[in-house]
Amino acid sequence: MRKKELRLVVTFHTTADAMAMEKACQEQNAPGRLIPVPRTLSAGCGLAWCAGLDARETLLRLMDRMDIEEQDIHQCMV
Amino acid sequence: MNLADSKKKLALAGLGCGLVAACLAFFGNPANMAFCIACFVRDMAGSLGMHQAEAVQYARPEIVGLVCGSFLIAVVTKEYRSVAGSSPLIRFILGMVIMIGSLVFLGCPLRMVIRMSAGDLNAWVALIGFILGVATGCFALKQGFSLGRSHETNAASGAVLPAIMAGILILAVCTTLLKASEAGPGSMHAPILLSLVGGLLFGALAQKSRMCFAGSIRDVILMKNFDLLTVIIGLFAVMLVFNLAMGKFTLGFDTPGVIAHSEFLWNILGMYAVGFAAVLAGGCPLRQLILAGQGSSDAAVTVLGLFFGAALCHNLGLAASGTALNPETQELVAGAVPMNGKVACIICILVCFIIAFTNKRKARA
Repeated sequence: MRKKELRLVVTFHTTADAMAMEKACQEQNAPGRLIPVPRTLSAGCGLAWCAGLDARETLLRLMDRMDIEEQDIHQCMV
Repeated sequence: MNLADSKKKLALAGLGCGLVAACLAFFGNPANMAFCIACFVRDMAGSLGMHQAEAVQYARPEIVGLVCGSFLIAVVTKEYRSVAGSSPLIRFILGMVIMIGSLVFLGCPLRMVIRMSAGDLNAWVALIGFILGVATGCFALKQGFSLGRSHETNAASGAVLPAIMAGILILAVCTTLLKASEAGPGSMHAPILLSLVGGLLFGALAQKSRMCFAGSIRDVILMKNFDLLTVIIGLFAVMLVFNLAMGKFTLGFDTPGVIAHSEFLWNILGMYAVGFAAVLAGGCPLRQLILAGQGSSDAAVTVLGLFFGAALCHNLGLAASGTALNPETQELVAGAVPMNGKVACIICILVCFIIAFTNKRKARA
């Protein structure tokens, strides 16, 4: 079982944005993985991108370049 | 309390929902229809006179409880968010598709699991279709399918469906305005207060655990995440124990009294349409009621689509019939999907493909 630790969680307005993020990160070798939005962040059942805390700037640059709009960026135990 | 921070708590939420369903079945809800969203919405549509099938008319307090339970727990825990504006009419169509597919199979995904727990092999066959439908929806998501984002709106907007549901319950209890079956599945029900409390509890647990039959399989396919599936397994386990203990477990096809049929292809295609449409709409019928309760007008429009679809199914003869014993000859009469239902099911699947591959994500404006 994966040990929970403080990580960066990027949430999106739509599932399609989260899928686009996964595709972009895979193509650009950016860190992270797709997860269900943590229940502590939302009552919705969408998807989020989870990565290490040090990936913040990399992911922000990538999202800007790929025209992916985040809803919010959180730090939480995942 | 966060029910979703561990698999054990999620399984407990599923067990709780299973207990509610088992209690309602024990106290009078139809056999193997302990808590079926499609059947109960269909019954409500009948009680409102939207269709004239006399055997399936009853304002089910469980549906009122689900929406209001989700609404109340969301308000109390400050999770109520009134949102709207994500392709409402497409969601209405998807609601219709979900209902038509469900009534071709004879049950929503929740009833499919309840039927599976009672040994109904037709439900296990339908599961194949449901998984394939969800997988097709996941493929569409990977290809960029999106109905667009929703936006915050007036707080009152999200409370409209819970208010309508509460109004229907008041009419059902205080007046003779609504129709109620005197025979058939619509006449079989647990006491009103028990049904309402069961619905409220189920709604609150489903809101906290994010229980969703389509979402659970979607998460496994897209992320190999089994959290939501844990809730479903919990519910299945309780219903399995209940059915075994009460002598209601009968392994086989063609089981009379279960309200099911053995047309394998249409069991598969019916649930294929449901799984596909549910992923596109962002949740199974149960999840749509819960989302509507916590403030989503988009989900509320999908629920209206469920009602409209139910009315169409019975007014146009799309719904399947269940296998039953002829009371006079004691011969088994096989249930079947009428030709109208087969055509409607195929059209529904085609509509899903059109919606899935014509609505694409737009990059940031």
